[in-house]
Amino acid sequence: MIPPLRFSYLFVYFAGILLLSACGPRETAVERGNREQILSRGMGPDLSDLDPALATGTSDYTVLSALFEGLVAEDPVDLHPVPGVATSWDVSPDKLTYTFHLRANARWSSGDPVTARDFLSSWQRVLTPKLAADNASLLYLVQGAEAFNKGLVTDFSKVGFAAPDARTVVITLEHPASYFLSLLQHWVWWPVHTPTLEKSGSLYERGNRWARPETFVGNGPFTLKEWRLGQRIIVEKSATYWDAATVRLSAIHFYPIEDINAEERAFRSGQLHLTEALPLAKIDTYRATQPQLLRIDPYLGTYFYRINITRPFLNARDVRRALALSVDRDLLVKNTLRGGQLPAHAFTPPGTAGYTPQARIETDFAEARRLLAAAGYPDGKGAPVIELLFNTSDNHRVIAEAIQQMWRKELGLDVRLVSMEGKSVLAARRTGDFQIMRSSWIGDYADPLSFLSVWTGDSGNNYTGWSNPDYDLLLHQATRTDDSAAREALLQKAESLLLADAPFIPIYYYTHVFLLQPSVKGWSPTLLDHHPYKHVWLQP
Amino acid sequence: MLSLSPKKLPSADLAPAQLEQGVSPWRDAWHRLKRNKLAVFGGVTLIVLVLACGVGPFFSPYGYEQTNLDNTFAKPNLSHWMGTDQLGRDLFTRLLYGGRISITVGLVATFVALTIGVSYGAVAGFFGGKLDAFMMRVVDILYALPFTIFVIMLMVFFGRNIYLLFVAIGAVEWLTMARIVRGQIMSLKKMEYVEAARSLGFGTQRIIFRHMIPNILGPVIVYTTLTIPGVMMLEAFLSFLGLGVQAPMSSWGVLIKDGAEKMEEYPWLLIFPGTVFSLTLFSLNFLGDGLRDALDVRSAKD
Repeated sequence: MIPPLRFSYLFVYFAGILLLSACGPRETAVERGNREQILSRGMGPDLSDLDPALATGTSDYTVLSALFEGLVAEDPVDLHPVPGVATSWDVSPDKLTYTFHLRANARWSSGDPVTARDFLSSWQRVLTPKLAADNASLLYLVQGAEAFNKGLVTDFSKVGFAAPDARTVVITLEHPASYFLSLLQHWVWWPVHTPTLEKSGSLYERGNRWARPETFVGNGPFTLKEWRLGQRIIVEKSATYWDAATVRLSAIHFYPIEDINAEERAFRSGQLHLTEALPLAKIDTYRATQPQLLRIDPYLGTYFYRINITRPFLNARDVRRALALSVDRDLLVKNTLRGGQLPAHAFTPPGTAGYTPQARIETDFAEARRLLAAAGYPDGKGAPVIELLFNTSDNHRVIAEAIQQMWRKELGLDVRLVSMEGKSVLAARRTGDFQIMRSSWIGDYADPLSFLSVWTGDSGNNYTGWSNPDYDLLLHQATRTDDSAAREALLQKAESLLLADAPFIPIYYYTHVFLLQPSVKGWSPTLLDHHPYKHVWLQP
Repeated sequence: MLSLSPKKLPSADLAPAQLEQGVSPWRDAWHRLKRNKLAVFGGVTLIVLVLACGVGPFFSPYGYEQTNLDNTFAKPNLSHWMGTDQLGRDLFTRLLYGGRISITVGLVATFVALTIGVSYGAVAGFFGGKLDAFMMRVVDILYALPFTIFVIMLMVFFGRNIYLLFVAIGAVEWLTMARIVRGQIMSLKKMEYVEAARSLGFGTQRIIFRHMIPNILGPVIVYTTLTIPGVMMLEAFLSFLGLGVQAPMSSWGVLIKDGAEKMEEYPWLLIFPGTVFSLTLFSLNFLGDGLRDALDVRSAKD
């Protein structure tokens, strides 16, 4: 039976609460943070890893960028390369050799100096085939790196990295690349303190648990203080950082709140300075009532559905085309997303470093039905149920439900929605245990290559099973072409090849919609959503 | 039974054997229930709701999954009586379809819980001793099993479908019921009428199910009326986990969860499902109260 409520106890309890709260409102995390320079921010799904070689997601970057620094850093306003660990660099006339001069006072949080050797051993680690780093291909434009990563060469001294002395790093490229310095800002290029790694396991194997608060060593403006899975991550200002005088924040608290409604509530109750996302349904309200808190920043990224083309039914090109053609992205963006996004008709966002894809996937229901019939499934007859996987988030669910209905209505296909938390989705992606999954790609650097190189056969970010030698060849040629018009023509051709095969379904180009307390200063809108924390401060 | 007049009850000139069958406690209870206005209100409301959810969708011009991206977040109006949601789906239609799921889950899962729980608890309580100790330890063990993990296990073994929902919820909800019934039976089994029944030579089964269980209907019914809303909310939770109701199908739990997230901007998305859900729960409680009063044999001496 239900025990009778003890009203007297309840009364005393509530009276107590009233008494306590009558002494004045409690200081919120935001107010305390403003006073003590502690930034509290939402970060979306929890981390996958804090090891720069193995981290894969944007939420990893969110934390990593506080803990590490590469050879070059980013300007807080337009992200152009500025000195990081390197004070300066020289480029050879043929644009193939870059010589970086490291600063003498760059130090690890353990006190050791950051040396050229640290960089080289970190890159060797990334390229070691056994480690199978997802982002290893970002190093491929270094001479010999690809061969080493694929196990064709086992002698690392054959790779175009050299350290003539402790404070000089020389990198030799396969071909000239105007975007090389921007590429260096990707976390996979950041150094790790190899002696620390060796203490807690093997350098070249996964599962080394060195990136824990007890053992962590980094070289960034902050250092890892606390990491409680699913609860929060705390980083504190590093005393050993060479530019500690510039760092104004004393600490950053990261909260992995996957439920964006909960995140918005946390923001409203003064627990967060900024959120990672905003529920679609709330955009209009904030726009109308509190526009000073709402930020809609441009964001170089594409929201799309990956198709596992190794699965029956989905391995038919006509089926994939039909699916892609029957998504009414314009309507979806205009009436459901409402956050200033652009409908995506290709993969590379328009205007990425002057490149706008000419090939387009238009919405054409009649053609989609025709293609599906041609593939042997007129009106969806005989087609299996498609599973659509997405990580648990209301925004993803709403979009998935809309597209589920479009496919059902226009093509007669049955779609089952499967929602899992972030880590399981990443695991499914890695093992190929999905049919269609929600994905996004955020540019690592502002160049169409950052997008199109996802789909090469040997890319660690492809995950669809799709590969096309012609496509790989076009990209290969494009990277080796200095003439920008010829390069663009090659990229355009590659993108139209890609769209014709449709191993993915483009949905929209991002804008970053989030909430920001006005007390956060130095948070400029940047195309890659990078905000170097050392230039951020709080001022109520 | 349609005998409405109490005057037609058997009178003294009938044979004694017939007289012992007499007024069945059920007919008596039905008569008392009818006089309880709140209970009648509850019953009628429930019937109306069940009919509306069962038949209503056939008359709706919209489907529960039919989106209209040109008409999202429409306020209640003549063509959409309860407005539309984020994808332009008609809320009224979704509410009716959702009711089918929620009411079915509520009734079926509760029925499962009731059947298992009452039989199990009654047997344990009646026999006592080692059998009781053993049966109750089984209940304790099942209690200790975390519900979410249990559900995920079921999902792994049987895949996702709606019938699992009934099994999963029913399998968990009967535990408390079994404990309640056991306690009641233990306190009843020393009563004189049980002794009397036993001395008349009735079998154990008959004593338990004909003599004792009617005497514990009060707490059982109260607990059952509390179980149904609990089960409905549980269904919402499970649907959120991905078991049970699959999008785009709706249920009241799903609609309320969605509505609660958008209540400041689009209050109708919460008000309508919330009102209907509350109405159902109130009706169930009134009906349960009335049933308890009507079935309580100890107060049947009017």
